[in-house]
Amino acid sequence: MDSSELYHVKQQFVLGAYKTVVDLTLPDPNSPDYIPTLIYQARSYIALNNPKAALQLVPTDSENVALKAVATLAEFVEKEGTTDKEASLEELRDLAVEIESDDVEGTDRDKATVRVLAGIAFARAGELEEALETLGVDTEDLEAVAVIVQIYLSINRPDLAKKEFERSKRWAEDDLLLQLIESIIGLVTGKDGYHNPYTFYTEQLGNPSLSSPHVLTARGVTRILRNEFSEAQSDLEESLEQYKDDPEALTAFAVASGLSSAKKGETNANELWARLTSEYSNHPSVVDLSTKSALFDDAMAKYTVPPLAAAA
Amino acid sequence: MSVMLTKFESKSNRVKGLAFHPTQPLLAAGLHNGSIQLWNYRMGVLVDRFEEHEGPVRAVHFHPSRALLVSGGDDYKIKVWDIRPQNRRCLFTLHGHLDYLRTTQFHHEMPWIISCSDDQTIRIWNSTSRNCIAVLTGHSHYVMSAFFHPKDDLVVSASMDQTVRVWDISGLRKGSPNAGPGNFETFDTFSTVKYVLEGHDRGVNYATFHPTLPLILSAADDRTIKIWRMSETKAWEVDSCRGHFNNVSAAIFHPKHELIVSCGEDKTVRVWDLAKRTAIQTFRREHDRFWDLAAHPNLNLFAAGHDSGLIVFKLERERPAFAVHQNTLYYIRDKYVRAYDFETAADIGLLSVRKFGSPYVPPRTLSFNPAENAVIVTISSDNGMYELTTLPKPSSAQGGDLKDSSVDGKKGSGMSAIFVARNRFAVLNKTTQIIEVRDTSNSVVKTIKPPVQTNEIFYGGTACLILSSTATVVLYDIQQQKTLAEVNSPPVKYVMWNADSSLVALMSKHTITIANRNFSQHSLIHETIRIKSGAWDDAGVFIYSTLNHVKYCLYQGDHGVICTLDNPVYLTRVKGKTIHCLDRSARPRTITFDPTEYRFKLALLRNNYEEMLYIIKTSTLLGQSIIAYLQQKGFPEIALHFVQDTNTRFELAIECGNLDVAVETAESIVRPDCWDRLAQQALKQGNHKIVEKAYQKTKNFDKLSFLYLATGGTDKLSKMQKIADARGNPMSRFHNALYAGDVTSRISVLRDVGMYPLAYLTAKSHGLEELAEEILEAAGLSPADVDDVPTFGQSSRKPPLVINPTTDLIWPSLSTGENFFDRALASGSLENGIEPTYTNGDAAAGSLAALDDWAKDEEVHEDIDPEEGGWELDAGAEFSASHEVQEEIEEEELGAGATPGISEAEHWVRNSPLAADHVAAGSFDTAMQLLNRQLGIVNFEPLKPLFLSIYRLSHIYLSPVASLPPLQLHVRRNPSESSPSRVLPVAPRSLQSVRLEFADGARDVAGNRLVNAQATFRSVLRALLVLVLNSDEDAKQWRDIVTTAREYLLGVSIELERRRVAQEEPDNIKRNLELAAYFTHCQLQPVHMQIALRSAITVFGKANNSAHAARFAKRLLELKPDAKIAATARQRVAAGERNPRNAIEISYDEFTSFEICAASFTAIYKGSPSVQCPYTNATFQPQYKGSLDPLTELTEIGASASGLPAPW
Repeated sequence: MDSSELYHVKQQFVLGAYKTVVDLTLPDPNSPDYIPTLIYQARSYIALNNPKAALQLVPTDSENVALKAVATLAEFVEKEGTTDKEASLEELRDLAVEIESDDVEGTDRDKATVRVLAGIAFARAGELEEALETLGVDTEDLEAVAVIVQIYLSINRPDLAKKEFERSKRWAEDDLLLQLIESIIGLVTGKDGYHNPYTFYTEQLGNPSLSSPHVLTARGVTRILRNEFSEAQSDLEESLEQYKDDPEALTAFAVASGLSSAKKGETNANELWARLTSEYSNHPSVVDLSTKSALFDDAMAKYTVPPLAAAA
Repeated sequence: MSVMLTKFESKSNRVKGLAFHPTQPLLAAGLHNGSIQLWNYRMGVLVDRFEEHEGPVRAVHFHPSRALLVSGGDDYKIKVWDIRPQNRRCLFTLHGHLDYLRTTQFHHEMPWIISCSDDQTIRIWNSTSRNCIAVLTGHSHYVMSAFFHPKDDLVVSASMDQTVRVWDISGLRKGSPNAGPGNFETFDTFSTVKYVLEGHDRGVNYATFHPTLPLILSAADDRTIKIWRMSETKAWEVDSCRGHFNNVSAAIFHPKHELIVSCGEDKTVRVWDLAKRTAIQTFRREHDRFWDLAAHPNLNLFAAGHDSGLIVFKLERERPAFAVHQNTLYYIRDKYVRAYDFETAADIGLLSVRKFGSPYVPPRTLSFNPAENAVIVTISSDNGMYELTTLPKPSSAQGGDLKDSSVDGKKGSGMSAIFVARNRFAVLNKTTQIIEVRDTSNSVVKTIKPPVQTNEIFYGGTACLILSSTATVVLYDIQQQKTLAEVNSPPVKYVMWNADSSLVALMSKHTITIANRNFSQHSLIHETIRIKSGAWDDAGVFIYSTLNHVKYCLYQGDHGVICTLDNPVYLTRVKGKTIHCLDRSARPRTITFDPTEYRFKLALLRNNYEEMLYIIKTSTLLGQSIIAYLQQKGFPEIALHFVQDTNTRFELAIECGNLDVAVETAESIVRPDCWDRLAQQALKQGNHKIVEKAYQKTKNFDKLSFLYLATGGTDKLSKMQKIADARGNPMSRFHNALYAGDVTSRISVLRDVGMYPLAYLTAKSHGLEELAEEILEAAGLSPADVDDVPTFGQSSRKPPLVINPTTDLIWPSLSTGENFFDRALASGSLENGIEPTYTNGDAAAGSLAALDDWAKDEEVHEDIDPEEGGWELDAGAEFSASHEVQEEIEEEELGAGATPGISEAEHWVRNSPLAADHVAAGSFDTAMQLLNRQLGIVNFEPLKPLFLSIYRLSHIYLSPVASLPPLQLHVRRNPSESSPSRVLPVAPRSLQSVRLEFADGARDVAGNRLVNAQATFRSVLRALLVLVLNSDEDAKQWRDIVTTAREYLLGVSIELERRRVAQEEPDNIKRNLELAAYFTHCQLQPVHMQIALRSAITVFGKANNSAHAARFAKRLLELKPDAKIAATARQRVAAGERNPRNAIEISYDEFTSFEICAASFTAIYKGSPSVQCPYTNATFQPQYKGSLDPLTELTEIGASASGLPAPW
């Protein structure tokens, strides 16, 4: 059982309150919570797209595998888009092999963390198969399950995701993360009109010990999926008020505005979209749209446009 | 029946007779020692005692409507008492019986009293004339009880002669018998024995009628209770209840339920089922035999008298099980779960829980889950059970039988069960002390061992439970399985959360603990009276009910009374000025009250001055109590604003140091002590001007002088001297002289009062030799006489010099800053209202209405055909399409090597033949093919932004797991659908929105912004291409709007061309005229047609084509334009008639119908060849076939097209 401080850190992290996690003061270095908390903080920095800060946070001289892994992941994220990233990937591969042997410094928990971090990196690099293999098919680490489930969902295999979820339900007592996993699956499949994710996020918004713009964004997204556009707008607006640099909330807000029938929404959506394109040119939504734009041009080229009919 | 709730107990001598007061919480008890006690059983106090009977009192009864009590004793007397406290006394005594009185009773409407006695008679008395009006004889032994029928003219009596008799007394009503004393024979004609019920083997102690049914109940020394039925002609025994093992003293019907309650000398009270005649429950007492039993006529209350006192008890909990969600109250009445809408007051039954648990026990709690639309009901029978059932939709509950919970309810045992999350509930097993968390399929997902002995569990916020223990309440985290906080409290019985779950009220029998959501702060309220229920006001005030009051409580613990109650109610919700509650029979009721007082206090607590001001300005409340409250809470300055009474105002002003007000009020009060206190206060603040004024008013010269000295007011001091002189007060003169440092006047004072030695010395020591001489002289002495006086040095003593005159300065006093109230009240800005954020919920209602409006807009095309469901074979399966896939994959190893599945976008493409859906899926290629095939579109360039925007709006991204690439999610237009074979993308554009855009264009036409209008109409026609249509109706509207847009676009294009011609080829008047004429032939709405016609009239008028112009004017007049326009049009018509000629010949024949070629803007008369645009059906001259449509710039003219598919 985790100590309650660590439990809270984990809860915050799981629910995407990265800012809060980052702002926490670290426990005493001798405390058993020290390393896990440190890792969550570093991961939060990475999640906030600030791998540099993560690198600064993690002591370079540590022998702990999990710390090494998180540092490597940070490096990987930082170098993403360059060719250097291969080196980091290699390093993670080594770490993933290393933990199989017994003479490595780190608890079981650290080893599980290494797998999760390596899995994330592989998934980011598009090596899904490798990621799944690293995470292990029969893992009893819920974080690994979460990653596995998302990978399955990203390749449109909600059936496998569900299977994975059902499997973990057997051993992971009603854990918060398990509920989160259930709601992610719900978001993709749309079972019962997105009822499950909707109530999950609503419930978490009512959670006294937490305030996370991410949860608000998630509920906003769920509301969009439920075709409740104006409610979604207000959720997302609130989320952006709390944390304005979240490209996800921005995208979702642009969608919600565009879909709400109000005339103003459309122009608003276009403005937001312009902002997204300029500020977050790497965000998948922007990237995807530019591919689509190219696709359009290709498809259009197949049609020859006759001359305009005009009076002689 | 597992409960018999004792409400009140008393210790006394043996109780032989009992009676409930019908309306007040009073109970009369006749005691074996001759005293009659009057108890207030609710408060538990002895209200009165009547002690005039000698020997035991067995008979007592209250008058149904007057404050009267009738009693009968072993002294053979019947006494009638006035029980009003102010004139409590025995009104009169009825003599006549010759032995012990057994029972007495008032008639329910006539002024009659019935009594029975060991003298074997029953007598009826007229309480007005105080005469005996009937003697019923026939019993051959003691008559143990005699009672009137609750409606009919019947009497039932029980006797030791083993019979129960029913008497007909209808004769009594017919007229007052001429009742001479001792005239017994006449009585008998008025009353006859109707039935004699024989069946008991021993003497009968008690017999009574059923309140509504023709039933009689009797209790006898043969240890049985018998039920008898009567018809018009006969009466017979129905059944017996056996179980008592000694004499049964009394047996009564339950006034509301089909139950019998009995008591006997075997020291038990027993409850029986009237229908089945089976024992339900037995309540035993150790040592006391029971002698009498009484039932409250309206309430679920009983009283039983025994050897050493009496008990008042209930047979079941009355607190209805209920739960509130948003605007709906879910509650249980008569074992039906019902839903009550607070706003519409609609009250409907949803679910029967009749078969759940014991039929005699009402369910104890109800927990509602909005996410699943399910309830958990608990019941205390069978050692505690719960049942989880989903509620049917309200619509399906209308008509027909209600769903019964036993059909699909999931049961289990446990004392309390509540929902803790959308799909989890917690069940407490009290004996094993285990809390199980179960999911909606009732399987355990987690077990918890509570840290304390837990009696009951409540919802504790997300993922938390509140555990109620004997001396503490614990907030417990389910996830972590640990105690978050613990608060000491007596056993908590009910828990109420406020609307935003920031505060919780923990209610126990006599205390309420208000805590925040992590229990880190809390306050405790004590009540002497039992607390029944509570609910949170929308402003965060806790409103609760006790047995006899509705009260409020602020979060810091202040509380007060809102109103008093006759009977307890169970509050369910408080909104604005209305309290919603359930009464004891679980019927929804509302109470209207005035929340001003607590709102005000709350505002005060929160320093919400706007709100306070608003209340001050708008409400008339606020008497002494609120002033006292404000004063007590340290806000005298606020209280000041409520008070008109000058005395109070003065007090408050002094208290808060508001000197201006104090002066003002002091002036009108004109009392010295006021000025004194004002002076003190002003002195404290250093406002010596006011001090001066106050001293002046009170003529406090000494202090005034000293004040002048202290402030350096020398000139004032000299004035004071003059005043002192005038007053003839030498002491004051001296003082002032001293203060002023005025030696001469000091000396003169001394001289004036004849104190020459002092005057002399003063003069001497100040070097005023001459004056000294003068004094000596005046004293009749010579310098020689004062030789022995020692010489003093020159005195330099005098008051300190004034360095900084402060006479005109006021020192910094207490808060000089204007406070909020002064400002607001002074400026009166509140007249037009600084509206508080809420005003009793009205504002909220307003915004709700606005939301509704929005919702309406959005609902426009969401109506999914209900028939649709009928097509599907297995709507239940979630992955029907991918089932087979799944099966195949079963073989392959889970995990690594999973192949990607079919994406949502692909499903969209597969599921829809609509271009819009393909666009949303990002399959632009197929979308273009569709548009090309369906509508002949060839030029896609202008559609690009539209395509991209639709695609963009159909996908969102979310990263639920940190640092993984975000998950792409797909927005569907049918979110209730999850089967991949039916999902369809969202439709960003609706007919509605396109219509709006069209209206924009139309406005541009009216506003003569034709270029804009042209662009808008083109955009409308583009948007229409990617619209999602759901029905034939939609398709028809779509076609209409396409046609209208085309006509407008054509018209605008013609007019633009005409302007170009007029501009660039001014000589080509013929073309100009033609175009103007054609414009009037586009199908426009009358408003716009008027514009076209007027423009044509002008152009043709200028060209002197008066005949044509007149035609246009006539057409214009048909459209009934404004009077002014009509006038000019008429002129034009007249001109045309005068001169019916056209100066210029044009190619325009308005009498033959024609279409206008949208490319060349020439007329294509009927019968001439033409080609069409495959999309808008615009007409073209044949030579344009194969070119790009110049109107929409999208289609190839004359291309073949299949038209839109109908997927619905």
